[in-house]
Amino acid sequence: MITIKSKILIIDDEVEFASTLCQRLKLRGMTAFDAHSGTEGLVSLKEIHPGIVILDLKMPDMSGLTVLKKIKEYDERIEVIMLTGHGSSGSGTEAKGKGAFAYAMKPLDIKELIDTIQSADNQRRKV
Amino acid sequence: MKHYQYWLDKLLPSPLTESNTGVVKKRDYKYFSRGLALILLVLVLAPLTLISVVSHHQYKHLLQEEEMTQLILNLETGKNTIEEFVSELQSIVKFVARDDRYQEVLNPEELEALFIRLQKEYPGFADIEIIDAEGSQKAYFGPYQLEDQNYTDQIWYKEVLLRGVYISNIFSGFRHVPHFVIAVSRKHPDKPGHWVLRVTIEGSTLQNFINTISSSYADDMFLVDSECIVQTQPQKYGKIGEKCILLLMEDTAEHCISNSKLEKNTTGKESADLMIVKRTFQGQEITHAVVDLIGTPWKLVLIKEQYLYANTWLQFKIKLATIFLTCVIIAVLIIFEISSAITKHLRESDKKRQQLYSEAEHSNKLASIGRLAAGVAHEINNPLSIINQKTGLVQDIVEMSDDFEHKTLMVDAHESIQNSVNRCKKITHRLLGFARQTDVQVEEIDINATVKEVVEFLEKEALYNQIEIAFDLDQSVSKIVSDRGPLQQVFLNITNNAIDAIGSHGKITLSSRQVDQKHIQIKIQDNGPGMPAKVLKRIFEPFFTTKETGKGTGLGLSITYGLVKKLGGDIKVTSEVGEGTLFQITLPTQHGE
Repeated sequence: MITIKSKILIIDDEVEFASTLCQRLKLRGMTAFDAHSGTEGLVSLKEIHPGIVILDLKMPDMSGLTVLKKIKEYDERIEVIMLTGHGSSGSGTEAKGKGAFAYAMKPLDIKELIDTIQSADNQRRKV
Repeated sequence: MKHYQYWLDKLLPSPLTESNTGVVKKRDYKYFSRGLALILLVLVLAPLTLISVVSHHQYKHLLQEEEMTQLILNLETGKNTIEEFVSELQSIVKFVARDDRYQEVLNPEELEALFIRLQKEYPGFADIEIIDAEGSQKAYFGPYQLEDQNYTDQIWYKEVLLRGVYISNIFSGFRHVPHFVIAVSRKHPDKPGHWVLRVTIEGSTLQNFINTISSSYADDMFLVDSECIVQTQPQKYGKIGEKCILLLMEDTAEHCISNSKLEKNTTGKESADLMIVKRTFQGQEITHAVVDLIGTPWKLVLIKEQYLYANTWLQFKIKLATIFLTCVIIAVLIIFEISSAITKHLRESDKKRQQLYSEAEHSNKLASIGRLAAGVAHEINNPLSIINQKTGLVQDIVEMSDDFEHKTLMVDAHESIQNSVNRCKKITHRLLGFARQTDVQVEEIDINATVKEVVEFLEKEALYNQIEIAFDLDQSVSKIVSDRGPLQQVFLNITNNAIDAIGSHGKITLSSRQVDQKHIQIKIQDNGPGMPAKVLKRIFEPFFTTKETGKGTGLGLSITYGLVKKLGGDIKVTSEVGEGTLFQITLPTQHGE
């Protein structure tokens, strides 16, 4: 049973990907929003106040790592799950070093992602 | 400069630029070798020839000068000796014919006594006579019946009156024996006119004297008069009393070596005409010198048949030719050896360069393919994620919906799509892994232990296929600083491939050895079916597989290649069809070397 209370914000420049993932999370009873660039994401962040952000590492306007930094500056308690498309554990590890909760590789396995979101939510609650 | 470059290019073609393909043709090297040999030959032989020619001329010139000096010296010695001899005879006659002795010598007894004294000194004195101012003989002593002669009309008589002294040519005259005359005229003490003392000397006296002084140096020496009539008997070149043919021959400028005057020598004598001529006479090369004998009507002729230094000259020429030929032979041999050695060296280094070039080209090609694959994978990955999400969404909706017709079919279809997406995902991830630029996490690794650990994963599979895995690990091999994960993957991939290649019943040997202080090497050898050269060439290319469709992705070895390179190592593979395949992985002992 999914008991995720935190609001989730998905920031990814691939509109189709972000919106579909958003819909799928909503279908599972979660409160999810999507933004399609780093800038848009940061605006939404302030409007929505999400507990968890799913953030793409590579975006045209600004890099995922920059957005991550700004998110953490805005609210340190927001848990960020980085999405990497490189098959590169290196970038994921780097992001983790900069405060990301976890990283997941595209294409996503929804079950794995939900497990990660669940862990992040649990983590938030502990804090 | 352009010409120089043109000829240099002609002679020394650059082998690698000759062919666009980089394949160096054999004839190019032959051409190069010949060109190089030719240049070296010219460089060596030109100065050698020049030195030889110069030496030849110089030595010849020196010998000729030496020859000439010697000839002139001998001639001068001969000339001086004869002149002194004649001068001595003349002095004696002059002494005898003192002005006041006229009356004394008219007395036959006194004349006889005088003549006997003279003959004691010079046995060649034939007779003596006294002629008065009228040219009539007043006294005579000698073996011939020559009394009461009158010489008034004789040329010699006029000459002696004119010059005071007269020396005649050698002639036979009234005596019918070759002789010459020395006459001296003296003033009458008590009346006008001159009386004359005339002494006849046998020609043999002069002949003997010439024979004595004729040194071994001269091949012939004799006297001639101003008309070139031979005065003393030559050994070869003429007869006494006849004209000397040799001296009458026309002298051209090229024959005439020297036509000068002998300078006043130390004895203070006046200079004399000297002529040295070289010519071929009766098939023989001769040099003859003619010099005026001062105070006599004669010329001294000296003949040398051959160069004094003919032998020395011949020996020099033989030596020079021997040295020259020896140098040429040695130079030719050495130059051909050198040029073929250089060509061989060049060919080998070209071959090596070619090999390195193709290796570099190969790894460059692999790197390009890797980059291309990563780009493709990255581009595919995004739409793949969308397919994944969209399918997932539809799947979610279908699962949440009530049962409807064909629901199961639809669920199955979605699952199938998801499986395919997952398969693509694996491929893109592996492709990206092939080209990824992650940091290497280094640690000290016991390579033998790592090899064994890896093989443990595959032991069961090998066992089922009756494949024996053997180790030949050098325990003294040094530990290396490297990244364990990629290393394991490398050994795993290769060993796994070996198992697949063998199929069943075979052997895989893993060995380790220390190459040098900075490198170690792991060899993985199987006795499988091996690979033809065509396959071997492409073995590290991504997506190249010989396995059945669906069984292999063709990425295993390309990833392995990428990993080894990333670890700073090198991987080589050799294979023989029917014999098996050998992978050699060389790794640096220290990371980053």
